[in-house]
Amino acid sequence: MFELKSVRVEFGGLVALADIDLRIESGEQVCLIGPSGAGKSTLLGLFNGRVMATRGEVRAEGENLSQFSPAKLRALRQRIAWVPQDLGLVPNLRVNQNVSCGRAGAKGFWGLMRSYLRMSGEEQEKIHALLQRVGIPEKLFERVDHLSGGQQQRVAIARALYQKPKAILADEPVSAVDPERARDLVELLTSAAREEGASLIMSLHDVSLARRYFDRVIGLREGRIVFDGPAHEEGVKTLYRLTE
Amino acid sequence: MRRRWFILAGVLLTVFGLWVLDAKPGELVPSKGGRELAGEFFGAALRPALDYEDPAGTQEVPFFTKIAISLGNTLRYAVAAMSLATLGGLVGGILGSRAWWSRPTRGLEALRLTVRLAATAVRSVHELLWALIFLAAMGSSPLAVILALALPYAGTLAKVFSELFDESDDSAAELVRSTGGSGLTAFMAARVAQALPDLMTYGLYRLECSIRSSAVLGFVGVPTLGLDIKNAYEDGYLHQIWSYLYVLLAVLLLVEWWGSRARKALARGVPTKNPGQTSDDVRTLRRKRSHSIVLRGTVGLLVALTLWSWLGGEWSSGVPWERRVANLERFANELVPHAVREADDWSLFPSWWMDNFRERGWQAAWMTLHLGTVAALLAGAGALFWMTFSARSLATSRPRGIPFDQGKLRGIVGSLIRGVATIARSLPEYILAFLLLQMFGPSMWALVLALAIHNGGILLRLGAEVIDNWPSRAAEVVLSQGGSREVAFWSTLAPAGFNRLVLFLFYRWETCIREATVLGMLGVGSLGFLISESRVRFFYDEMLFFILLGAALVFAGDLTSDWVRGRLAKSGRA
Repeated sequence: MFELKSVRVEFGGLVALADIDLRIESGEQVCLIGPSGAGKSTLLGLFNGRVMATRGEVRAEGENLSQFSPAKLRALRQRIAWVPQDLGLVPNLRVNQNVSCGRAGAKGFWGLMRSYLRMSGEEQEKIHALLQRVGIPEKLFERVDHLSGGQQQRVAIARALYQKPKAILADEPVSAVDPERARDLVELLTSAAREEGASLIMSLHDVSLARRYFDRVIGLREGRIVFDGPAHEEGVKTLYRLTE
Repeated sequence: MRRRWFILAGVLLTVFGLWVLDAKPGELVPSKGGRELAGEFFGAALRPALDYEDPAGTQEVPFFTKIAISLGNTLRYAVAAMSLATLGGLVGGILGSRAWWSRPTRGLEALRLTVRLAATAVRSVHELLWALIFLAAMGSSPLAVILALALPYAGTLAKVFSELFDESDDSAAELVRSTGGSGLTAFMAARVAQALPDLMTYGLYRLECSIRSSAVLGFVGVPTLGLDIKNAYEDGYLHQIWSYLYVLLAVLLLVEWWGSRARKALARGVPTKNPGQTSDDVRTLRRKRSHSIVLRGTVGLLVALTLWSWLGGEWSSGVPWERRVANLERFANELVPHAVREADDWSLFPSWWMDNFRERGWQAAWMTLHLGTVAALLAGAGALFWMTFSARSLATSRPRGIPFDQGKLRGIVGSLIRGVATIARSLPEYILAFLLLQMFGPSMWALVLALAIHNGGILLRLGAEVIDNWPSRAAEVVLSQGGSREVAFWSTLAPAGFNRLVLFLFYRWETCIREATVLGMLGVGSLGFLISESRVRFFYDEMLFFILLGAALVFAGDLTSDWVRGRLAKSGRA
């Protein structure tokens, strides 16, 4: 699905990622672990072209991302869902309108406006079915700012699934919830991605969650990969050191 | 230390400004004639006219029909102008913001700056002055009135809208872009959707302002409530004046009340009364979803009012097209400076400009500047003084949640002050100044007080909101230790909210300067007086010169205020 070859990212002379080589297969579930500023968000940004490599090559679906035309990049993004840390929801809109944003690229400007103003019954049914999967079907027409933090996270996950993605990028999606809810949400995301056959790349702070739900864990520190593989006993020590 | 310097500078500027304006403290007590007139005038407030005061006069329509027609005109011009201004404001607001850019370029930045400068420039000329220009150029027609109102309002809306777009959170827009949405889709779906409650709230506030402005245009002959007030005063029908004032006030209070209801509904939404169940199907959930009757009513009413304003009245001024074109040509010709026109020589322009500036212009501009500044400072001081009595969190028997033994009276006084402040900010400054001038005679005090009363009402509300929502617990500590409300206010809340209050003061200062450019039209020496004088003598070249001089002053005031407010906001203490 994604391949990074000697990728380096700099922001104004500051090195965010250095010499990253990485390959992620279709349907694979990968967890990124590391302290704040390690480069996890930057790495996630590379996969859907929100961040461009200063040097090296980023390949998505076998093609070099830096050679994509804007239209081709937009087409690729339609197949990659993103769940940002702050969720990126429009608080004063209803849940169904927010979920419909997941297909903003596919719908185009007028299509999305139509969904906002007069959503078809068919689309409402589809979104309702997705909300059922994430556990909040009764919130279909609720304003997002009337929901709890955990419910808002589920809306963001539903929006990602509505995209019918080939890959889901989730940037610390459970950083602001209690451990029990965090477990539920990670389980929800991993199982949903598995059912969709989509790759899942998620950054997390919690090593135990990473060990429990992911076969492959990538540890990052100061922009470099310091660990890549299954979270076996030896690796766990490295990972715990990373989050200290 | 900075607070002390600011207050000292404010006091010095007030004293110096009053000296420049030649407003002596002794003049604050009206003369015997003025007192008698005031007594007579305010006595009439208790008995507003229910019919024409001169029943023998030949009146075409019954009294209340006449009021209804004038009110209809006032609303029609205001609503039609606001519909145009909103369109202009949205286009200008988008072009003047950075929020819709995919990535910054020099061309886009140049476009943004041009649009923002143009917006500031058109709103630097007061709507009353635009009306003088359009009425002189196009003759007396509804379109001239609507354009005069719409142009500066579009400028104001464009400026505020672009700031709202820029301030809206980018994360939802970035999300839309990350799913392959275009920059436009992301801007509309996320940024505009987020800013919509603020856009509507501000739009409703401007509608209230445009009703005020529309009424004021009556003073230059437009058939709105202002014209009735002016005519009634000239004929000595004081009871009729109060009838018109009460009707205008009632409409403005109604719009403000309606606006505040809509604002609340927009900000918080309506919680679902009958929450959905997990077992509910889509149709049931759709039936159960919450709706705001206030919001639906607001949108419906606005659409109906807009349609009525454009379709429901006469548009023709009755003047044939050829004559209108000839008038326009004559007006355009008259705009060419007199000296240049006579000698057909543009090299005389600089000396004509300098003569006008040196002989009268600079002095009038100087007085206008001080009129606006003194009024804003007095409004700020007044608002600060009354805040402790009017803020809801203090004017109660449980100030900031701390039980006090007495407080019922405070509650009543608080409601009373808030009521007076609402009336003060509802009445247009121009009409207030007109009424005060009759009391004080041709004194600058009338203009200073009119501006200070209106803006004081606004600042009192804004300031009280800051105080009521201030999160610090310091005031509670003082109150629970036995300190009075005044001690709690002056020792904790006032210093804490000071920067915020100064921010509001600068925002009102620029409005005061703008308003000060026209108040002189009531016959007291400042730029407005020169503009009015030139207009009466049909010296349109001079009229335009003084209007532009005023615009330059307002423009400079705007930029200064923007800069100061930006610094205050950035300092993080605001």
